[in-house]
Amino acid sequence: MTLVTVYSYACAAFALAGALSVVIAKNPIRSAMGLLLLILSIAGLFLALDAQFLATIQLIVYAGAIVILFLFVIMLLGPHDETPTDRKGLVARVFGGGLFALAGLGVLSAVARVSASARPMPVPSVPATFGGVDAFGSVLFSSALVPFELSSALLMVAVVGAIAVARGRQGARTLSRGEREVLASPFVPDVETHHSGVFSHEIQLGEGHAASPAKVAASTGKGGA
Amino acid sequence: MNIALALSPLLVVGIGALLLMLAEAFSTNPSRDLAGTGGTGGLALGATTVLFTSAAFACTVWMVGVENVGDVSAVAPWLILDRFTLFFDITLCLGGGLASLLAGGYLLEHRIDRGEFYALILFATFGAMMLAAAGDALTLFLGLETMSIGAYAMTAFRRASARSAEGALKYFLLGSFAAALLIYGFALIYGATGHTDLAGIGASARSAGGRSPMFIVGALLVLVGMVFKVSAVPFHAWAPDAYEGAPTPATAFMAVAVKAGAFAMLLRVLVLALGDAGWTSWASGWPPVVATLCVLTMTVANVIAGRQESVKRMLAYSSIAHAGYLLLGVTAMMQNPAQGIASVLFYLLAYTASTAGAFGALILCGSFEREAVSYEDLAGIGKRHPAPALAFSLFLVSLAGIPPTAGFFAKWFIFKAAIEGGLYWLAIIGFVNSVIGAYYYLRVLVFMYMREPAAGAEFARPMRSGYVTAALLVSAILVLALGLTPTRYLDLAIGAATFGNG
Repeated sequence: MTLVTVYSYACAAFALAGALSVVIAKNPIRSAMGLLLLILSIAGLFLALDAQFLATIQLIVYAGAIVILFLFVIMLLGPHDETPTDRKGLVARVFGGGLFALAGLGVLSAVARVSASARPMPVPSVPATFGGVDAFGSVLFSSALVPFELSSALLMVAVVGAIAVARGRQGARTLSRGEREVLASPFVPDVETHHSGVFSHEIQLGEGHAASPAKVAASTGKGGA
Repeated sequence: MNIALALSPLLVVGIGALLLMLAEAFSTNPSRDLAGTGGTGGLALGATTVLFTSAAFACTVWMVGVENVGDVSAVAPWLILDRFTLFFDITLCLGGGLASLLAGGYLLEHRIDRGEFYALILFATFGAMMLAAAGDALTLFLGLETMSIGAYAMTAFRRASARSAEGALKYFLLGSFAAALLIYGFALIYGATGHTDLAGIGASARSAGGRSPMFIVGALLVLVGMVFKVSAVPFHAWAPDAYEGAPTPATAFMAVAVKAGAFAMLLRVLVLALGDAGWTSWASGWPPVVATLCVLTMTVANVIAGRQESVKRMLAYSSIAHAGYLLLGVTAMMQNPAQGIASVLFYLLAYTASTAGAFGALILCGSFEREAVSYEDLAGIGKRHPAPALAFSLFLVSLAGIPPTAGFFAKWFIFKAAIEGGLYWLAIIGFVNSVIGAYYYLRVLVFMYMREPAAGAEFARPMRSGYVTAALLVSAILVLALGLTPTRYLDLAIGAATFGNG
């Protein structure tokens, strides 16, 4: 076992531990830290694959910007140590989780079996410049120009979508009657059985549910001016 | 001639979307209130014009011949520009254009007309067109995500509504999960074959390396990711909630354009990457898997749709059931790829016109005071307001597959392809299902024409909108044209059913 193999397995183990702690940790800050560990380990894996530039980008963008942003948001919202436990549908969730774990184990064993028996993939010899900024940029702007340009549409739709969803919050006072009804109820009952005669009740607008005109004016004033 | 003309359907939509966003940002409409609503009617017209122009460009390129308009291999293998792509460009632009016409009426009536909606429709259509042209896993994923993110945002467009937010969140989480499975599948396939372009994967699948466990698991994961997007049972759980919570034009868009884009992806991957003799045989390939999904989808969706009390939710389940019929055509590709593809293409065109029309008629039957949602809302509307009721009836009859409408011949060609492919049992199950389906479509007609609203009960009053009327007119003309002269359009679909420009 060469040093690179050991290093790769160590990185993979750390990545797995980080991913697990993101899901398992009850404290959101620990989750964010788990995410940081995951991102650092993946950057390590990129290094083992001769992709120095990707590793750097991974560190700068994900570890440096995104995790920090997560931490800011968690701090602003106030970290709660305990997430509320929800026992609804526990059986279904355990069943689903178990089924998924089984499927995952099946995939893992299949992949492990093939990687043990099959001849190794022919790895193309890597030129000395591989993985640097030059090589990365020349691929991006020559042979992979089409997907690079197309990805701008993806970024654009994400930005427009975020704005559309964020601005949609202000419309509470202009809902139709049926919508106000749904809002006014303390929680939305089971959607399957919700329809018969629901619109015939009186409308009650809860204080907390509908944005007051002053609030709307203030928030649009900020954004629109 | 250069590549720009061949790419013009995509370019028109992309540039049009950017121009419309600029127009929205710089428009100073005095009728606009503080929340930014009001006065976006022109945008609906703009978006529709852009999409129909793009469809016109696609028609032009089709007629000139895509092999004559320049060196399409310049964008290979990322994008494949052939008649299949052009046919989907036309179908998708039609679906998107109808959805933006519906949005022009609906958003204004329900006081949520903010200009972002049209940009989202245009970019999501752009993504779906990218998906239809994709020849590589990378562009395929980019197209899929562009289309899906647009659809997520459109679902959440009425953020203040709890149901809209719930549907959007479910759609977003499950959709991201499915995208992750798809990517993982392509990663495994890349590990097994060393290719990300579909043609290269197909070449490797023909050789011995294509039957390794890693490749099989990868192909299975890719298949799951794709059938999630076409909302096949058992991967349909997101669809009814998302369809019901979304504003109705967004529902129409998801039901027609997103579904058509997902089927384009499914056909491309199954034919290009998994199209060899081994993978298309019943004993060792994907046909039994797709056939099982097809039977499950048709049966479960039709049975549940019959039990709905909300017409919008019934239409949501109906669109899942139609994904089942389409999967029947996909299964028929195992014997005769061209015939299977042609039947799916024709079905998608007919389904786009009928479904967009049905959602449009549902929009037209309600107004701001009361949206038409339940069957009771529609009681007696045939006598009070004959015109919307007549339009609704036409589209429902087409969805049920009754002649002389588009839906009849669409089902006919699908079943014909299945029977000629030797899939008798599947065709019989499909036929039984379309009979079950007729029950709940005709139930709407019974409520519209033979019931009266209960005494003192409120009922929905139709809205007035030129946009919605225009969308209904276009759909109705198409439904009748496809139903009365089906062979013309079927010939076009057959012309589009071979990949590449051979």
